[in-house]
Amino acid sequence: MNKKLIAGLLTTAMLTSTFAGGAVTAFADDGSTQGTNTFVDGGTEMSFWTFQELHVAFWTSMADVWNEQNPDRPINLTVTNGESHSTHSKLLIACQSGEGAPDMADIEIGYYGSFLKDGYLIPINDAVEPYKDDIVMSRVSMYGDAEGNYYGVDFHLGETVTYYNTELMDAAGVNIDDIVTWDDYFEAGKKVLEATGKPMTAVETADLFLPQAMMLEKGVQYVDEEGNPNLVTPEHAEVIDYIREKIAEGTIEIAPGGGFHTEEWYGHLNAGDVASITMPLWYMGRFTDYCGDLKGKIAIAEMPVWNEGDVRAVLQGGTGTSVIKGTENEQLAKDFLAFAKLSKEGCTYEWNELGFDPIRTELWDDPAITENKDNKFLAYFTTNPFDVLKKNGTDLTAPDISGQYAATYQTLVSTTYSNAFEFSPDQDATELLQAEQDSIIF
Amino acid sequence: MKKQSFFKKFLYSQKVAPYVFVMPFVITFLVFFAYSIISMVVMSFQKVAGANTVFIGLDNYKVMSNAIFQKSLKNSIFYTIVSCALMIPIPLVLAVMLNSKAMRLKSTFRSILFIPALTSVVVAGIVFRLMFGELPGSFMNQVIGAFGKGPLVWLRTPATVWLVLYIVCLWRWTGVNMMYYLSGLQQIPADLYESASIDGASTVQQFRYITIPLLKPTIIYVLTISIFGGMAMFSESYMIFNGNKSPNNVGTTLVGFLYRLAFEQNNLGIGAAVGVIFLVIVLVVNFVQLILNGTFSGKER
Amino acid sequence: MKRKNRITSVLLVIFFICVAAVTLLPLILLAVSSLRPGSDLMRYGLNFNIDWATASFRQYRMLFSGENNYFIWYKNSLLITVVQVALALFLSACVGYGFAMYDFKGKNILFACVLLVMMVPTEVILLPLYRLINRMHLINTMWGIILPYLVVPMLVFFFRQYLSGIPKDFLDAARVDGCTEYGIFFRIMIPLMKPSFAAMGIYQGMSSWNNFLWPMIVTNNIDKITLPVGLQSLLSPYGNNYDILIAGSCFAIIPILILFVIFQRYFIEGMTAGGVKG
Repeated sequence: MNKKLIAGLLTTAMLTSTFAGGAVTAFADDGSTQGTNTFVDGGTEMSFWTFQELHVAFWTSMADVWNEQNPDRPINLTVTNGESHSTHSKLLIACQSGEGAPDMADIEIGYYGSFLKDGYLIPINDAVEPYKDDIVMSRVSMYGDAEGNYYGVDFHLGETVTYYNTELMDAAGVNIDDIVTWDDYFEAGKKVLEATGKPMTAVETADLFLPQAMMLEKGVQYVDEEGNPNLVTPEHAEVIDYIREKIAEGTIEIAPGGGFHTEEWYGHLNAGDVASITMPLWYMGRFTDYCGDLKGKIAIAEMPVWNEGDVRAVLQGGTGTSVIKGTENEQLAKDFLAFAKLSKEGCTYEWNELGFDPIRTELWDDPAITENKDNKFLAYFTTNPFDVLKKNGTDLTAPDISGQYAATYQTLVSTTYSNAFEFSPDQDATELLQAEQDSIIF
Repeated sequence: MKKQSFFKKFLYSQKVAPYVFVMPFVITFLVFFAYSIISMVVMSFQKVAGANTVFIGLDNYKVMSNAIFQKSLKNSIFYTIVSCALMIPIPLVLAVMLNSKAMRLKSTFRSILFIPALTSVVVAGIVFRLMFGELPGSFMNQVIGAFGKGPLVWLRTPATVWLVLYIVCLWRWTGVNMMYYLSGLQQIPADLYESASIDGASTVQQFRYITIPLLKPTIIYVLTISIFGGMAMFSESYMIFNGNKSPNNVGTTLVGFLYRLAFEQNNLGIGAAVGVIFLVIVLVVNFVQLILNGTFSGKER
Repeated sequence: MKRKNRITSVLLVIFFICVAAVTLLPLILLAVSSLRPGSDLMRYGLNFNIDWATASFRQYRMLFSGENNYFIWYKNSLLITVVQVALALFLSACVGYGFAMYDFKGKNILFACVLLVMMVPTEVILLPLYRLINRMHLINTMWGIILPYLVVPMLVFFFRQYLSGIPKDFLDAARVDGCTEYGIFFRIMIPLMKPSFAAMGIYQGMSSWNNFLWPMIVTNNIDKITLPVGLQSLLSPYGNNYDILIAGSCFAIIPILILFVIFQRYFIEGMTAGGVKG
């Protein structure tokens, strides 16, 4: 009986293996992949974990470029991709136990603080030094600590902009060039609501982009200078009340699916059911991937500000790539990391393939890039994102993700905003924020 | 030669044999579980930070006063109680009906009801997540639409979140519990029912006075595994919400909270403290339950 | 009376047809949806509105094309399931037999430990367990997934129940005939335990095939992960790969379903014979 059982299973196993044929671990167009660069004899073996399939090709291609330019220090890079939550948890567990971690990894901004807090990452100041003058430094220094060390480099600048659905704007007779302040924006929103019945924009309950952008504009962070959670600020309460008011008015809706990365939301957005959305420039890729119907109907503009004359520039979201403590190839990993993310080659790849606004400023003025007719992102949108970048300059406010940011972030996206906007819209904002802050464990 | 035969004799003696048989368990228990549980208890008194780990006494246990801890504890208990309330009577009634003489196609229905248990929580989570999607076109919204109700935001409203979690639980485990009951029912002698019906006992009376008392051991067993399962619930919530996060923590259980603290926020010490609390709760609940039912292990019937 | 029985019969069957329909509905929905393009699902949600003009086996062809890792995961899962079922059945049967047939010092304490392991969810001891497996250099290996769960408490519990139905005099008779303690187990007990092996084989097959959390933590490389972990990795925060996900989920149920259909008779028999007597 037992034997029969095993025999049966083995037969099934053999059958399926035959089906599987010559499946090899190569780059595949499904969600999960593992990739290696072109093998170089004598190259240093390095492992890399990411949670985004598109990054696999980026890293392996950059390793090829690196090997070409640095024949004396070649790398054989193995990039493994997995689902985001589990990959981060796994990386954290490996770091905590001090064993089994890769040499380098992509770490999403919401999780970054967890890794920073207990010194699992290696400072990369010396490797970034040669690139310092060519890039927007606030994007690098944000992945750092109070001592001035920085540990990670992002794929992009991640400057926050507003994407407008031009069809709906035209229907309501709104000229987006006239929108400067949030008040202007929601005045226009009322017109849109009247003319089309569609909300001006949406707010997430499972993420924090809109309130965070509004707060950063006011110069307020979620953590204080010591890195402790700091949700209870008058500005935060103002932002919440402001958004609540607009929800009541109908110009802001709660995003279907609760966030801007859910299938419900993509369907909603693509159907033209919301007039605009304020998100970082890397969100362009979601439009091109999931909103095919909106091609040629979306304009990119600077996001509104609180008062006329305010600096509009805010950075949001992101993924810091870091070198993990315990690697045997510390210097090589750091140099490769800085090269991949900050060199002209790297930034060009990031823009062309991934639609990431370049962290390297010289690219903003390079017509080969900014006027490239074949670029799918430039072709999709009716305005040029580089115009916004140039207008806003390089004095950009980045979120403070140091200290207890990770724990704070978890609370914000799981309870704070869903309470504030969906479950208890009538509770006093300061009171609510105090209760939320008290619930953070650190 | 002589030595070997002595050794052989020792190993083959009736005194030693039982230890040889249970050895695999003893080894895996000591190596994997005893070690893990002890190191977890130790961690719960530490601030765990790599090389800078220090003992901080009971500080980590302050987590008990945290609002989200209390909420997830409540969630776990609520889930356990309701799922026991569902998973004990419903499969029992189904099993009795299936076992009745008038029933046809018994084995077919039995198998069909068992099929959901064969699917992994990942697959179940994907299907139910999409079925209860908030798009107007998702299946459940179509169903309630047919009754003239507007589309619901199933997975972001506390009441419906619980509904979905219980439906998933019922769907996956009804067949399994029913199977346990069926095996218990088949051990009840048929003549008991016969004589009862000769005495004029109704079906309901038979169920009340014969089936339930004789099925008590099975019911206790199902209750026990339902409590384990209910308290340990995590994967279902993880899959339904596509990650260990649910709006306003409606679906966060104690295990989910532990996972978040330890593996998402890197607060190992506090996570370990939650683990210890969890362990104590589960142990107490189960031992109380077993003692109340007078069926503590070891004793032969 | 006869007539009444027939009516009851019909009513019962109708009732169970409804229950069965509800039970199978999610799986049928999954199967139907696996024929629809993933982008459709994203736009309209999961439902029965299938447009036969766009329905195709394209998703399955993608699965079978070898352009993705699906069958590598499939193979890993099959291998792990087979090895784990075989080892867990044998070792747990040994342990259950030891508990059921002998009286020895420390028996009750040890059995309480079995119950303890049964109660502790993996999540609670994840980190120490991971550290241990790492130190044993078993990360990314099949043995890393299998070793901590070699002896399955649930199976021990079941086998103990099953065997405690066998009178102990039986053993003494065998001893008189000159059978050794191990001879009794291998030659007499194992054949007697066949139905329970079938029942627990399916049970263990189910849990090994569907195990998620522990394999996810232990394996890193895309060519080492198991099917549930692989399927879950198709859900990405930037939009899910429904094409492979739905068809892959559907196809993932098949082996365990076949196993169940073939052995279900023994399964019921084994469960019944094992019966929980308390």
